[in-house]
Amino acid sequence: MKFSFESLLNAGGSRLTYGLLNLRILGWILYGFTRPGILVPSQILSQIIRIGVQAIPMASLVSLSVGFILAMQSSTELGKMGADSFIPDLVSLSLMRELGPLLVAIIVVGRSGSAVAAELGTMKVNEEIEALRVMAIDPIRYLVVPRFIALMIMLPCMTVFGNCIGLVGGWAVCTLEMGMPSSFYIMRAMQRPELWDLFSGLIKTAVFAHIIITIACYQGLNVEGGAEGVGRATTSAVVYSILWIIIADTILTGLFYFIL
Amino acid sequence: MSPTSKKTNPSSDVILEVKDLVQSYNGRAVLNGLNFKVRKGETFVIMGGSGCGKTTLLRILIGAQKPTSGSVYLFGEDITKASSQELDRIRLRFGMNFQFGALFQSMTVGENIALPLQEHSQVDPSLIEMIVKMKLELVGLTGFENFKPSELSGGMRKRVGLARALALDPELLFSDEPTSGLDPVMTAVVDQLTLDSTRKIGVTAVVVSHDMASCFRIATHMLMLGSGPRQGEIIAEGTPDEIRANPDPFLQQFVRGEADGPIAFRLSQDDYLKHLLQEG
Ligand SMILES: Nc1ncnc2c1ncn2[C@@H]1O[C@H](COP(=O)(O)OP(=O)(O)OP(=O)(O)O)[C@@H](O)[C@H]1O
Ligand SMILES: [Mg+2]
Repeated sequence: MKFSFESLLNAGGSRLTYGLLNLRILGWILYGFTRPGILVPSQILSQIIRIGVQAIPMASLVSLSVGFILAMQSSTELGKMGADSFIPDLVSLSLMRELGPLLVAIIVVGRSGSAVAAELGTMKVNEEIEALRVMAIDPIRYLVVPRFIALMIMLPCMTVFGNCIGLVGGWAVCTLEMGMPSSFYIMRAMQRPELWDLFSGLIKTAVFAHIIITIACYQGLNVEGGAEGVGRATTSAVVYSILWIIIADTILTGLFYFIL
Repeated sequence: MSPTSKKTNPSSDVILEVKDLVQSYNGRAVLNGLNFKVRKGETFVIMGGSGCGKTTLLRILIGAQKPTSGSVYLFGEDITKASSQELDRIRLRFGMNFQFGALFQSMTVGENIALPLQEHSQVDPSLIEMIVKMKLELVGLTGFENFKPSELSGGMRKRVGLARALALDPELLFSDEPTSGLDPVMTAVVDQLTLDSTRKIGVTAVVVSHDMASCFRIATHMLMLGSGPRQGEIIAEGTPDEIRANPDPFLQQFVRGEADGPIAFRLSQDDYLKHLLQEG
């Protein structure tokens, strides 16, 4: 059989399993690079704003708090050993490798994953998805792909931003509470992490973004049975996303720890 | 050639043909072996009681649902066996007006109508804006471009749905109860719009309706689906005059809108008692 990107677009006929959803998203993105008009920048931008930018305040608040918490918790233990000077290292490493990606992803699940599942589910119930199909507009291309691209771009950006805010939280505790000089904090926090620490966090973030958006879209597009079904899909999207994020985090951390 | 005139070879201008169509849900046949043809230029009205399967039939005709068995030839192609790409190509040739509008809630009325144009035509935005205004004018909604569907009444939504279905100037229009929920004036406006589209532009229309006055006003061909004991079969088919003259008591009850007759709206006294006394 001849292989083409187009064959991915309708893989599996009218059924939509999770695997097929992924295949079709991939197909449309690859197809979109070869042909203009398939990936619409204005739609991607509006999704970036709706599912990314609007979640930034909440993600920032959580990151700031985590910065505070990390610095305060570690200061009691490290202080006993006279290792106060390692607090900035600890704050920046934990944020970059683990807590930044994880917490921002969980905020985005609650804020944007649920919204996407509810929105697509409501469209399904209102026959809007059906109407798109009848107009020969593929719902995956028109609804899912812009959201997918938007989150794949925005989650890493928000994570890096959240990391910076978290470092500010740690700085506030170290300088204002423990009297550490600002220059010392900044030097330690910036010098200790290597590029790989940032990258490993970003790899996790990309995987989390994929999990969040595909599960939300899958749950939304498969809603059956009115408003009750929309509620169920939204709950499932949040629960399964968080579950898979934590499983993926464990696997990735294990990979980075044992193999690299 | 006038669109309504019959050609010598009738099979050549058949736009839609349904063969042995069966749709069952959980073993209950809602549509049971339907056969009919729609010819170019006709206004084909499908009538029938609530729940008799009109929407189901329409969904199968537009390829939104695969029937249990049977075939549907649309523009000569069997859509029950067509691939998604083939279906999409066929779908550009017809418009569908959904029973409950199915408007995109997140978009304005104008954006709803503009969407098919943006996606499927190379027309530039200023022209699209003009076409949107024209289509809204057709359905009596001038000036409502920037309203959200949630800010409209049910009848207004239906008319936006009709305007959207006509956006690409389709050859074939499917309309699911376009006039239910409209006042008498708007019913006449929508009927006139269907008439204008079919008689003047040559659009073929397949309209589902149970408003008898409206049916007889627009139809060139009518089909009545049975319900109750005659669920799933075609009760009568023909021109409006043939339907009026058809002596079938089931059909006559429907056409005259009477409560008493073979269409059982209630159980008989005995059946009612039996039903009440049944366990579970
Ligand atoms: N997805 C489904 N699963 C099971 N039964 C269904 C389904 N969809 C429709 N039905 C049944 O099929 C029958 C026909 O429904 P349909 O919506 O086609 O009726 P209708 O003729 O359009 O009625 P109305 O005039 O009230 O719109 C109903 O009895 C309904 O219970
Ligand atoms: Mg119906």
